[in-house]
Amino acid sequence: MKRKLYLVLAAITLVAFVAGCGNNNSNNNSNTNQGGSGGEEGAMLEVLRAGVKSDVPNFGIYDPETDTYSGLEIDLAHMLAKELTGDETKVEFTAVTAQTRTPLLDNEDLDVIIATFTITEERKLVHNFSTAYYEDAVGLLVKKDAGIESLEDCDGKIIGVAMSATSEDAIQAAADELGVNVTFEAFSTYPEIKAALDSGRVDIFSVDKSILRGYMDDTTAILDDAFSPQQYGVATKLANKEVADKIEELITQWLNDGTLQELIDKHQI
Amino acid sequence: MDMGPFAAWRWQRLFNDSNIFILGLKNTLLISFLALLLALVIGFILGLASTSSNKALKGVTRAYVEFFQNTPLAVQVFFFYNALPALGIKFSVRAIGVLGVGLYHGAYVSEVVRAGINSIPVGQLEAAKSQGFQTLQALVVVIIPQAIKIMLPPLTNQAVNLIKNTSVLSTIAGGELMYLTNKWVSSGTLNYGPGFVVAGVIYFLLCFPLAYLARKYEENLKAKTTR
Repeated sequence: MKRKLYLVLAAITLVAFVAGCGNNNSNNNSNTNQGGSGGEEGAMLEVLRAGVKSDVPNFGIYDPETDTYSGLEIDLAHMLAKELTGDETKVEFTAVTAQTRTPLLDNEDLDVIIATFTITEERKLVHNFSTAYYEDAVGLLVKKDAGIESLEDCDGKIIGVAMSATSEDAIQAAADELGVNVTFEAFSTYPEIKAALDSGRVDIFSVDKSILRGYMDDTTAILDDAFSPQQYGVATKLANKEVADKIEELITQWLNDGTLQELIDKHQI
Repeated sequence: MDMGPFAAWRWQRLFNDSNIFILGLKNTLLISFLALLLALVIGFILGLASTSSNKALKGVTRAYVEFFQNTPLAVQVFFFYNALPALGIKFSVRAIGVLGVGLYHGAYVSEVVRAGINSIPVGQLEAAKSQGFQTLQALVVVIIPQAIKIMLPPLTNQAVNLIKNTSVLSTIAGGELMYLTNKWVSSGTLNYGPGFVVAGVIYFLLCFPLAYLARKYEENLKAKTTR
């Protein structure tokens, strides 16, 4: 009796799982179809569902008091919404982290990710990336009293990085060249790295320089060192070529006519 | 190329990086084992103390249990990691793992021990004492051997929960399975599908045998006592 119950349960799980996968595929098709018919009416999307950062000052930061997001990437999302939906207010923001952004795109809960998402060759295999709208080098934030002047002084130090490992690779390569031995601890969010720096858990907070600037205070300083430039692109689901092409066209246009530079100047980054 | 989250080539990538998951398994096992030892030691000491007639002793154990049962493990671990260094106390991440998870589950184990001992009729203690046993002697020789049968299934459940709860350490770069999985799925080609499935399967393989043994033991015990 019991054994039968187990079998039934296992079967239900399996069927639900397979059905789930199947649904995903059919969603795919229907979505692209909708996209197609929508395109004829002039609007590609009804609303732009954008995954953004909620904890990166100047790029994407959430203010709980006013319940709004602000930053360069938020402005960019509004601009894209204007072109894709016909109305710049038709944006739904969702805060994402290194672990959630890819599944949210794949499951079509989001249309685009504009969240300091660094373009890499490997990531290009799994997402569409637009041309970079911003380029920045990886930097090092240290406590002023730590006596660290550059990466050369970092032998035996612990570097706090974000879960997505692009900055880790960049620094590891530079450290190897200098013959400096460093270890890395990765965290899901930037405030967690800052907390670890404040408590002395890590000696160095290392992400992209423009992000670091948002976390600088009286006790910390950004070193002059800069490592392999990181390029941020707008990511879309790989199958979603139509939207990706439109976004690519728009970003290139805004790069050329100076719109993006104005945006960067506006946010002082 | 199939771009689904569970595409075959993603599994191949995971297979190539299998050493990362094996390292995570090793660290999870090590932290779980040491934390379980700590939880048992604390649990038995506090559990016994809470059955004593000494009010102060009872009060202290009660406070400990209520504190650790009613604050989230994630907060406790964050405190150990980021707040204690301000007081000049800096444990390694692994030590925090053992300490944090061990202290937390120690509270639960002590409740299991207390309930186990209280479930043995008072007459047993009185009878032992009438035969010239000291209280502690009576506890160790007469009461605990009977209580342990009652405690074992819930204790095993605690061990299972403890193993799963080590995953909280991923928030403080704990180096265990969940941390390394999180790190792996957010780098390279972002293979969250196989990554989280394999991590889940590993946790299951660690926990299920324990849970199974506990259930079997309990069933046998019931069969014996109802005979």
